[in-house]
Amino acid sequence: MTPLLETRGPTPLLETRGLGRAFGALQAVAGVSLAVQPMELRAVIGPNGAGKTTLFHLISGLLAPTAGHVLFRGDDVTALAAPARCRRGISRTFQITSIFPELSVLENVRIAVQLKIGDNFRLLGGRAVLEASEQRARDSLRLLGLDDRADELASTLPHGDQRLLEIAMAAAQEPALLLLDEPTQGLSPEDTAATVAVIRQVARERKLTIILVEHDMDVVFDLADRISVLHFGQLIAEGTAAEIRANAEVQKAYLGGLD
Amino acid sequence: MIPSRLSALAALVALAVVPWVLARHQLSLLTDLLIAGLFAMSLDLIMGYTGMVSFGHAAYFGLGAYASALVLLHFAQPVPVALLAGALLAGAVAVPVGWFSTRATGIYFAMLTLAFAQFLYTVAYKWRDLTGGSDGIAGVPKTPLFWGGPSLASSRAFYFLVAACVVLSLFVCRAVVRSPFGRALQAIRENERRFTSLGRDPRPFKLVVFVIAAVFAGLAGALFAPFRGFASPEVMFWVFSGQGLMMVIMGGIGTLVGPVLGAMLFILIQEVLSSYTEHWMIFTGVVFVLIVIFLPGGLVGTARRLGARG
Ligand SMILES: Nc1ncnc2c1ncn2[C@@H]1O[C@H](COP(=O)(O)OP(=O)(O)O)[C@@H](O)[C@H]1O
Ligand SMILES: [Mg+2]
Repeated sequence: MTPLLETRGPTPLLETRGLGRAFGALQAVAGVSLAVQPMELRAVIGPNGAGKTTLFHLISGLLAPTAGHVLFRGDDVTALAAPARCRRGISRTFQITSIFPELSVLENVRIAVQLKIGDNFRLLGGRAVLEASEQRARDSLRLLGLDDRADELASTLPHGDQRLLEIAMAAAQEPALLLLDEPTQGLSPEDTAATVAVIRQVARERKLTIILVEHDMDVVFDLADRISVLHFGQLIAEGTAAEIRANAEVQKAYLGGLD
Repeated sequence: MIPSRLSALAALVALAVVPWVLARHQLSLLTDLLIAGLFAMSLDLIMGYTGMVSFGHAAYFGLGAYASALVLLHFAQPVPVALLAGALLAGAVAVPVGWFSTRATGIYFAMLTLAFAQFLYTVAYKWRDLTGGSDGIAGVPKTPLFWGGPSLASSRAFYFLVAACVVLSLFVCRAVVRSPFGRALQAIRENERRFTSLGRDPRPFKLVVFVIAAVFAGLAGALFAPFRGFASPEVMFWVFSGQGLMMVIMGGIGTLVGPVLGAMLFILIQEVLSSYTEHWMIFTGVVFVLIVIFLPGGLVGTARRLGARG
């Protein structure tokens, strides 16, 4: 494994340098520098309010940082807004499920593909775009095991399937980097296990780099190549599962305080 | 879907034969209904498909009416030239208004569209030299379809022009909402933040559909002026914008054809009752409330739900 911020070696797919975001006096994310290598599966953990979601907003461009930089494939993308970063290859899901409720499951995924690849200002016709994006959407639904629900309205899916649908939307965009904000939140243990299996499969089949926020430590230690620990907005540790387990500071700040 | 195709065919046949069935004043009323229907349908593009509730849509109807009236009165051009002028002026004004208004969302968008519409209404009211002020422009002629071509002076001929414009507009709007662009609009309506994080800025989409909606509202207004023979500030007043919202909801938001029917129902109630009482709006209000409560999805939404079930 590449050490943090090594100067030589391969360019990380994603790098943040001194990334920070303040909300008034509150420093939600403070001086976070991390590097994620291509094909890595990185977990970000930390107690509630640690700044994990804010960090995702900063990486995906939904929030502008108050300090620091975001580099994607070696390019500084700090000034790019969320849509442009998505087109460059950063797709994401949200902690609170964010889908198009009154559109069909298929259309949710299809529009995700269209917005990435298509001819979006085609006012008449556009069959080719519609068909090409539908093809890719169906592939993605199959990968997530949602293909038999394609024609249902997204709002009628159970919570667990809606979480999967959101992953299907992001995965269908064939991003280089996929950000998953608590994909197993609110799921039963069985659904959690199924979702974890699906994430692993998506990562492998699509050769994706994934950053994932997750609370379930079993999931984290099982799934992640490396783990970054946030505490009060700061990165207090980073390493493999074994290293994080052994880290005294993490024990004190987080793992000990849990349960 | 076969039933909807059948009903579309039936509607087309009905539109084609009614001029030989209805009396002249009835045909004239139907023409009125269709013009209002086109206006409501154009509003549905932004309201039903994009989730942008405009409180100022009458402004574009009014701009179309004034442009058409002026072209016909001062330049004596054939009616299609006036229609083009009305649609273009409405679309052109919608560009800056839409550019500003789509910076806001929800109620702020609604308030901006209202403010711009009332501004345009005031201009129409005050610019007496051009618009005739509160009197408006009267004596707008029904010029022919083209010079040396068929006259549009008869109520039957003008009815056919209006019916053709409405049907054609309906087909164009249907194609638009089914295109990649139209699909994007519906995603914006459903979840704008999701849309943004999937790779596109929603604002240009909203601006384009705002302008398209204005163009069709302008076309409706441009038909209205020669049909009624006048253009006046009332057609730009906010009350008409509000009635447009009611028409869309009564007929079925996000269905295009629903708002046409909603507008027809609305104007029909108004026409029938206003000869008995000046308080016809009470009855319209009651019908509106009943539809909202008992027929969610409006006339067409309810019909489709029932059709899907049985
Ligand atoms: N838009 C916002 N405005 C003000 N404070 C915010 C905002 N978003 C997040 N915060 C605060 O920033 C901190 C980090 O929040 P968040 O990133 O959601 O944490 P996590 O995802 O790790 O639970 C919290 O204290 C939260 O209350
Ligand atoms: Mg969070």
